[in-house]
Amino acid sequence: MKKNKIFFAFLVIAFCLVFLLPKISHAAEVKLSFDHFYDHAELTAALKALQKANPQFMKLISLGKSYEGRDIWGVILNNPQTGPEEHKSGFYIDGNIHGNEIQGTEVALYAIWYLLENYGKTELATRLLDERVFYIIPTMNPDSRDYFVNKKEIYRSGVIPVDEDQDGVADEDGPEDLDGDGFITTMRKKDPNGRFRAHPDDPRVLIPVRPGQKGEYTLLGTEGIDNDGDGQINEDRLGGYDMNRNYGFNWQPNYVQYGAGEYPFCFPETKATRDFLLAHPNIMGGQNFHNAGGMILRGPGAKNLGEYPMGDRRVYDHIGKKGEKIIPGYRYLIVYKDLYTVFGGSIDFLYNILGAYTFSNELDISPTFSFPIEGERGEEEEEDEEVQRLRYMAERLAEMTYHDLVLLGEHFADWKPYKHPLYGDIEIGGTKIYGSRVPPLFQLADTCHRNAAFCLFHADQLPILEFDGVKVEKLESDLFQLDISVRNTRVTPSMSALSAQRKLHRADRLKIEGKNVKLAAAGRLFDEYRGITGKIETRDNSIWVESGVPGFARVTYRFLVRGKGSVKLIYDSLKGGYMTTTVALK
Amino acid sequence: MYRRLICALCFFLSLSLILAASTGELALNNYHQPNEVASLLKSWNTKYPQLTKLVNIGQSSGKSDILMLRIAAQGKSVEPDSRPAVFVSANIEGYHLAGTEAALLLIEKLLTGYGSDKKVTSLLDKRTVYVAPLLNPDVAQYYFIQTRYERHRNSIPMDDDLDELVDEDGPDDLNKDGLITQMRIKDPEGTMIPDPSDPRLMKRADAKKGEKGVYKVYTEGLDNDGDGEYNEDPAGGVEVNRNFPHDFEYYVKPAGLWPVSQKESIALLQFLVSHQNIALVLNFSTENTFLNLQQTGQARAAGATVRVPERYASFLGLDPDVDYTLKEVVDAINASGVTGGQQVDESFVAMMLGLGPAMNIDNQDMPLIQEIQKDYKDAQKKAKLDYPESRAKGVGKGSFAAYCYFQYGVQVFSADLWAVPEPKKEPAAKDKDALTLDKLKTMSSEDFLALEDEKIEAFLKEQGAPPNFKAEMVKNMVKSGRITPEKMVEMIEKMPKMPAAKEGEHPDSYILKWSDEVLKGKGFVDWAPYKHPTLGDVEIGGFVPYLRLIPPPSELKKTIDFHTDYYISLMDRLPQVELKETKVEALGDGVYQVTVYFTNTGWFPTSTAQGRRARTVWPIRVELKLTAGQSLFSGYRIVNIPFIDGSGGTGKAEWTIRGKRGSKVTATAKAPYLDSVTTAVVLQ
Repeated sequence: MKKNKIFFAFLVIAFCLVFLLPKISHAAEVKLSFDHFYDHAELTAALKALQKANPQFMKLISLGKSYEGRDIWGVILNNPQTGPEEHKSGFYIDGNIHGNEIQGTEVALYAIWYLLENYGKTELATRLLDERVFYIIPTMNPDSRDYFVNKKEIYRSGVIPVDEDQDGVADEDGPEDLDGDGFITTMRKKDPNGRFRAHPDDPRVLIPVRPGQKGEYTLLGTEGIDNDGDGQINEDRLGGYDMNRNYGFNWQPNYVQYGAGEYPFCFPETKATRDFLLAHPNIMGGQNFHNAGGMILRGPGAKNLGEYPMGDRRVYDHIGKKGEKIIPGYRYLIVYKDLYTVFGGSIDFLYNILGAYTFSNELDISPTFSFPIEGERGEEEEEDEEVQRLRYMAERLAEMTYHDLVLLGEHFADWKPYKHPLYGDIEIGGTKIYGSRVPPLFQLADTCHRNAAFCLFHADQLPILEFDGVKVEKLESDLFQLDISVRNTRVTPSMSALSAQRKLHRADRLKIEGKNVKLAAAGRLFDEYRGITGKIETRDNSIWVESGVPGFARVTYRFLVRGKGSVKLIYDSLKGGYMTTTVALK
Repeated sequence: MYRRLICALCFFLSLSLILAASTGELALNNYHQPNEVASLLKSWNTKYPQLTKLVNIGQSSGKSDILMLRIAAQGKSVEPDSRPAVFVSANIEGYHLAGTEAALLLIEKLLTGYGSDKKVTSLLDKRTVYVAPLLNPDVAQYYFIQTRYERHRNSIPMDDDLDELVDEDGPDDLNKDGLITQMRIKDPEGTMIPDPSDPRLMKRADAKKGEKGVYKVYTEGLDNDGDGEYNEDPAGGVEVNRNFPHDFEYYVKPAGLWPVSQKESIALLQFLVSHQNIALVLNFSTENTFLNLQQTGQARAAGATVRVPERYASFLGLDPDVDYTLKEVVDAINASGVTGGQQVDESFVAMMLGLGPAMNIDNQDMPLIQEIQKDYKDAQKKAKLDYPESRAKGVGKGSFAAYCYFQYGVQVFSADLWAVPEPKKEPAAKDKDALTLDKLKTMSSEDFLALEDEKIEAFLKEQGAPPNFKAEMVKNMVKSGRITPEKMVEMIEKMPKMPAAKEGEHPDSYILKWSDEVLKGKGFVDWAPYKHPTLGDVEIGGFVPYLRLIPPPSELKKTIDFHTDYYISLMDRLPQVELKETKVEALGDGVYQVTVYFTNTGWFPTSTAQGRRARTVWPIRVELKLTAGQSLFSGYRIVNIPFIDGSGGTGKAEWTIRGKRGSKVTATAKAPYLDSVTTAVVLQ
């Protein structure tokens, strides 16, 4: 009997443990490795596996088809137990818009995997999946990605035919692998009148000759022939545009901005991304991935429309400068000032039209920068031509050492003779497709982790709003004065300064709900000691909070309420979240 | 019984439509409604299957088809979509119903003229004319609905006041007169007063004249959503003719969030970019580019100088603190060798330095446009069209016409057809010695300096010169030789004519006068008291909607007839490249110098300078075909001729060829917007 009782108690406890206690469900494990590059099929399989293992957190949506008919995958990560998507600040990530800048996809995939893998295990991952929504497009350019990964062909553009040489036929003269080694490299020809000669210490390296000096080689460009017999080689390859110049802010036509397309969002891939972004106005932070050079970039892309408002620059600086610490060697820079002019870029659209703070990372630093060279580079220092020349030579040699001793020769094709139909006896060789701009595989996980960590840091800086005290004062029998304070514990405001200035989207809204309750008057409390308020028009028991809650700040609103009993206060921000609290009027 | 009646009615209605189309009588008693425009196009297509093709270029935001008629005689030349073509676009604004009527008449003239009119016949045998009479059907439809409200925005819903309610507070016809006019109300914060010259017109109180504001003026309507604002979120979204990508206005709601974001503008652009055979765009809109050449934005002055950022300057051998012209920077880049032998041009430099797009008509295109401008004015005078020239509107920011020239890169003209006429000025009892433009033309600088200051000032004022232009200043300019009377005349003639409002005259008084005298007062609703539910005592009145935009149809007959003829005459000016001559020179030893000369017998050059700059208009590509035993000694097999000037300009391609005497080579000149020309040359 007693035994039975114990057994019964045990059963009850077990039952409670299993069914009644709040479930800490952490993600089922999916084994993914970050030691290789995913083609679209493998990426699709990985995303499907992650989704299947984590149906409670992850949605996988085809946002549309690429030009060649591949799915453009959109991932949404949210914990619905802690609230619907639209009640949380959203963070957006995309990668690989440029078909040859492939590693952004692995970073995005890593970020998805990391959050799911660590939910319920680490405090940060758990909190982020509970508090935020992530919107992620691992590859925006699946067509060119597959050319890169599977066919070893390099296209920054998408693959919609463009007649680049204006001869009435599109994409008829691209490069080809003439020597059949599986890689498209470069062509050079022995030529006593050439402008290059072999490096004395390593004949694989070509260096420019000094004026008056005799040369040895002429460089003939990318491996290929004149397919259409027009006298030019490789002049009309696949595609011929730049999707990251096709976004609808500060867009300029092709003659001003190469690659812009006929009009904003004219490509299926950019259109699909745009629709995904527009469907989720709660997105408040964003990240694009490109390569290379080790940069954390913010806009503006061009100087014609001016710098960002001061308040927003402060937010960018706070996050960007921390990024330099998270990813050593990366520098926090401004596109138009430190890089070059970009019209119609994605980050400008995200910030200037959608009001989301967005960075673009140029992933990975070239090995010649990372490999130690005798004598540090002089920062911005005047150098005479000879010093520059010597530095160039030293860097090329260092690069070869890196190829030989670190990459173990895998990514450099030694020069081999070849009989070219036009140039005759030439040599083909040079750096292979994976020898530059993408990280070597042993470093890929490092790239993925650090850049995903930067995304998580940024996502954690999105606004977190909380009611920070509601003071109720009874004025008459059923007239109450409520001082409602709202605090933002993060650096990111609930509306960007630009959004407030340009009215990019609706303002935040503070609302009171209750039976027979009427909001008689409202104002912002500027000085709680002297009771100075600025009046705000009320509407349907609510007010518009025109510029939201600034970063690391607390604002107080004073409501004059007629009514009694329990009332509900709602703070509803498009991008900063949604929260409620209940107070008693008595 | 009732049903049969309706059926019969429908039958006769459609019959009359078909009759109207088939008898060549496009009676302009009423404006054609969008559905009538569509049935007209369809009936034309049925009646002229050999001449027409009905093309649906897309749907409007309100899901109406945007239709176009392709007109070309088939079987006479190459396939119509590969022939040099003219695109006639009308009513992209939606409220320019006159444009739709003009386009319909143009279609009719082409269809009935084929076979009977020599000019039209030869045009349609060789060319293709695309006519899109109604590019914005949604907005056009609003003119025909019960309550008349002048609406310019398409059917895309838009939350103008960002309160999460969409299109919830538009105007209301409070006094039930079928018109949305205005409300005025006395208000301590009012800034408006009745105009002293005519109290029906409202003007801003001028504190300098001791006037005090009395009224606030609103559009007629209620505060439907109770937010304290009136009509702040009316139905509709975007003004399509502000949604094109040249000089687009970001952050201006009616322009759209970004350029080409609307179904109407996307459909139109997709059609244009997929038809590279279009060589000329003739547009009907409220813009008149014949009379007003003003462009959308502040131009980067021609020959402006730039500074080169340090990071580029150092390797180009330029000084970052010195101003250079674009040409100098181009030369420096080409000389530096950094481009690996590839030649860069000014547009590349403009891009590298982030200078942005062209904002002015290119200097090479300008003389041609001015010549057409003069021709148009002369033709207008000859046709005795009484058009208030000073009211002509230039192209607007983000407009379709601006896109056509600056980005699509073809020549474009736009006619507005009509504007509220200026009241006839009484012939001023001017004294005989008053200075006139004609007199100024014949004057020497000395003559001018001998004039009295008052005379010069009276003249300047009449010409609409800004008040700071004083006689003394102009005389000084003449004295110093900076300007001559002749030059002055030239400048005045080029100047956009500002409407010469008399001192103290309300800018709208001419409209009121026109309404009173010509429309017998129908253009204005007199202010009448009304009890407004939230504002209290107001008065409702003002100009009737569309008054300035849509005249009684009878007013249009003459101008539409003139403009359709004029557009047909412009089509005659398309470039036409022909073989002029081939020259073969035997250099001895089986070597021949072959030169093929082409000429453009059309009036327009083969492309605009802006089109070449924008790289949207391709060069003329001349391809040489050799046969066995022949080889090219010098020259490229493919020669690109950038363009050939009109009216007999020539371009050539030359090669030195080794080959057998008596053997033939062929050369073909081609561009999508030109007829191709092939010639065989015998080496001898």
